Amino acid sequence: MEGVAIIGAGQTRYGDFPGKGVKELFAEAYLEALKSVDHGLDPQTIQAAYIGCLSAGSGFQLGQLAPLLMGHVGLPHVNAVRVENACASGGFALYTAACAVASGKFDLVVAAGVEKMRDVSSSKGRYWLGVSGDTEYERLAGSTFAGIYALMAARYMHEYGLKREHLSMVAVKNHRNAVANPKAQFRREITLEQAMNGVPVAHPFNVWDCSPTTDGAAVVLLCNAKIARQFTSKPVYLKGFGAASDYLAIHDRNTVTSLAATRRAAAEAYKQAGIGPSDIDFAEVHDCFTIAEILAYGDLGFCEVGRAHYLLENGDTQLDGRLPVNASGGLKAKGHPIGATGCGMACEIFKQLRDEAMEPSRQIKNARYALSHNVGGSGGTAAVFIYQRGDES
Amino acid sequence: MTISVISYGIYIPFLRIKREEYISALGSCSAAFKEKAVMDIDEDTITMAVEAARDAVAGVDKSRIGVLALASTNFPYREKVAAGTVIEALGLSNNILTCQHGNSTLAGTEAILSAIGLLSLTDQKYALVVVADAPASGASVDMEHGFGAAACAFILAKDEPGLEFEGVYAYAAESMGIRYGLPGETDLRDIGVKTYSNLAYNDTVRASVRGLLDKLGRKPGDYRHVILHQYDAKDASGLAKKLGFGEEQINAGLVFAKLGDTGACSTLVGLCNVLDNASPGDNMIICSYGSGAGSHALSFKLTGQPPKPRNSLKSLLERKKYIGYVQYLKLKRNI
Amino acid sequence: MGAHISIPMYQRAVPQRYRLIGQRCLKCGRVNFPPKAVCKYCLTGSEFENVQLSGRGTIYSYTIIAGGGAPPEFAEDARCKGSYPVVLVELEEGPRIIAQLVNPPGEGISIGMPVEAVFRRIYEEEGVIRYGFKFRLV
Repeated sequence: MEGVAIIGAGQTRYGDFPGKGVKELFAEAYLEALKSVDHGLDPQTIQAAYIGCLSAGSGFQLGQLAPLLMGHVGLPHVNAVRVENACASGGFALYTAACAVASGKFDLVVAAGVEKMRDVSSSKGRYWLGVSGDTEYERLAGSTFAGIYALMAARYMHEYGLKREHLSMVAVKNHRNAVANPKAQFRREITLEQAMNGVPVAHPFNVWDCSPTTDGAAVVLLCNAKIARQFTSKPVYLKGFGAASDYLAIHDRNTVTSLAATRRAAAEAYKQAGIGPSDIDFAEVHDCFTIAEILAYGDLGFCEVGRAHYLLENGDTQLDGRLPVNASGGLKAKGHPIGATGCGMACEIFKQLRDEAMEPSRQIKNARYALSHNVGGSGGTAAVFIYQRGDES
Repeated sequence: MTISVISYGIYIPFLRIKREEYISALGSCSAAFKEKAVMDIDEDTITMAVEAARDAVAGVDKSRIGVLALASTNFPYREKVAAGTVIEALGLSNNILTCQHGNSTLAGTEAILSAIGLLSLTDQKYALVVVADAPASGASVDMEHGFGAAACAFILAKDEPGLEFEGVYAYAAESMGIRYGLPGETDLRDIGVKTYSNLAYNDTVRASVRGLLDKLGRKPGDYRHVILHQYDAKDASGLAKKLGFGEEQINAGLVFAKLGDTGACSTLVGLCNVLDNASPGDNMIICSYGSGAGSHALSFKLTGQPPKPRNSLKSLLERKKYIGYVQYLKLKRNI
Repeated sequence: MGAHISIPMYQRAVPQRYRLIGQRCLKCGRVNFPPKAVCKYCLTGSEFENVQLSGRGTIYSYTIIAGGGAPPEFAEDARCKGSYPVVLVELEEGPRIIAQLVNPPGEGISIGMPVEAVFRRIYEEEGVIRYGFKFRLV
């Protein structure tokens, strides 16, 4: 198997951009990624593109979105395909791209994600947010994704004594981290009191437990590790990548306080990288709802399942803690443009591991290994990546 | 061959509104109920029918049911075989004889009579009769104040002890009576001539009750209970007294005060109330009424122990939650 | 804009939705609900017999969907009730299933409460009422 390196990455700011559609958002991220390649890159040498997207601009381009976007940036003839696994679309685009390079088939590929969520009515938006669960049962129970994660949260609280304030601690931490991130959607702190008393969404969640709807795109340039240094002296290596699935419906799973897809994807990624959870210096995890970050701690091996709240209480996952999680602000505050999220995490880690975190206050120092974790829906799919900085030897 | 009710089930929606809510919202209330049942936003006459029928068929060999007779003045579809939903929900045979009665509050007893007739066309032993009703009209129509909701279901059996059907007498004649509904309109219309309406009710019901007593060679005093259609709080007991029944025969069948006008269910819910406390040997005469106008008087006698419902009307009346008038209007999709 | 469960698609699930028909795996004997082509327990059995589930179970977890956050096809319910509970029920035959809880108790819902299935309108699409099960406290 060939080694895989990231040699460039770019993303739009996440937020609400009435003036930009999927094409414009994608182009902005793509051009930034191209510019980030230290020694330059001839776009015409790109061999394939894997683009994660759920709704293709709320359904206007469900078919053949990827060639449309590539044509928009002057690469009409590239082997391009849209990858869809709901909120993990970007992660699965990155995973598919990494596999394509690792297989030796391609040397230079694009992994990307894009989502345009902010230009539809709230009714249509809620429609799209509910098409990725087990529609026939979960949706027809009148539930939403918030509702499904809320069922996990209520059970976690029941089984492990998690408290309402632990959920809010995730939101407070991630909002604080987003303040210094110029790419984040919400760059403002919130207090624990605020976070605990928001407008109810789905008990026990209030609005501060939920990630927003977001416009955004992220593009990552991957190459065969053998040629990485042609492009940069500071590549970031994808040392491990894993992906897995689970029953879509929450009622079909053995447990609801742990995501089997995450556990399996993580096991695959750790095995490939040859390291374990204790080697990880920082992580970007999928916190679409506050409980999701709490589940991730256990499923990624940062703690035992059921003990995540102690990490929060100890401040271990804060920016200055022993294992910073979601230094970017996470889905909660950086934003969650569904298809883009998985690749956006890779962008954040690419910057951090090259000591280019833009604002010095948010640079994680002396980090060697990082992990990103992207979940589809309520855990029907998950992708996990382990990154290693490449400027050491 | 005898035909007897061997099992029954009742369903009363959980939500209730008290008469005082009308008075505080509108200044008055045109109907003299104490409280009435209101369907939740996700209920209709078919969901009520299924709930009542599930109780009625519990303990009965469902594969021996050969007839399903449904009745309501307010089916959720204007055209559709409602039996299809009930058959699938209960897991009944897809090859049973079905009928569906509506268009007037006479529908409930029509369904019982149809079931009795259809039983002779099947080799199966049982017929299921389900009557679910919730008359509806606009919030601005005074008559609406009394409209309640309920469902009841009965298993009729060939040659088994139970509440044995003894006979029927019917009457129909041109008379607008109390109310009517026009095609395409969901709201019922009130005739609005109170004295005329009362008279029409009295004449129509009297004709069947007297006819049945004559036919069976009985007097009012021969019955333990009388249950007449109750579209308001007073007329049924007033007429029963005029017909020669005493209060002790009338009271157990009066349900308007607790449930309001339950349309095609009216006499049958009254019958269920009587059955809750009945003893072997008890007999009763019931008479339904439909504006337009018609009536059916039916005579029953308990030839064995009274069937015990899974949920008695008394227990269902105790399970409730009160709502306010604004919530009521929301549930009626008026706001 | 609704969930686009077509009328034929809805009809195919009528035995499950109207009267909770589960499937017992002829290989391992465990009960699947909703149905699968291959048993979700032994992951090998692909022959089943239908079983009538009792509709009884206990609340495994719950949430309360706030009015503003309901899917569009439940907007009317949400407007009327303000909010509505959704529960994950562990049925006494083993499988878990998600559905709404009707008549929520004033004192609040808690995990472990016994429930039974009721027949209700789920929602309406294309003018057709989609009936199915919900649960109520016993």
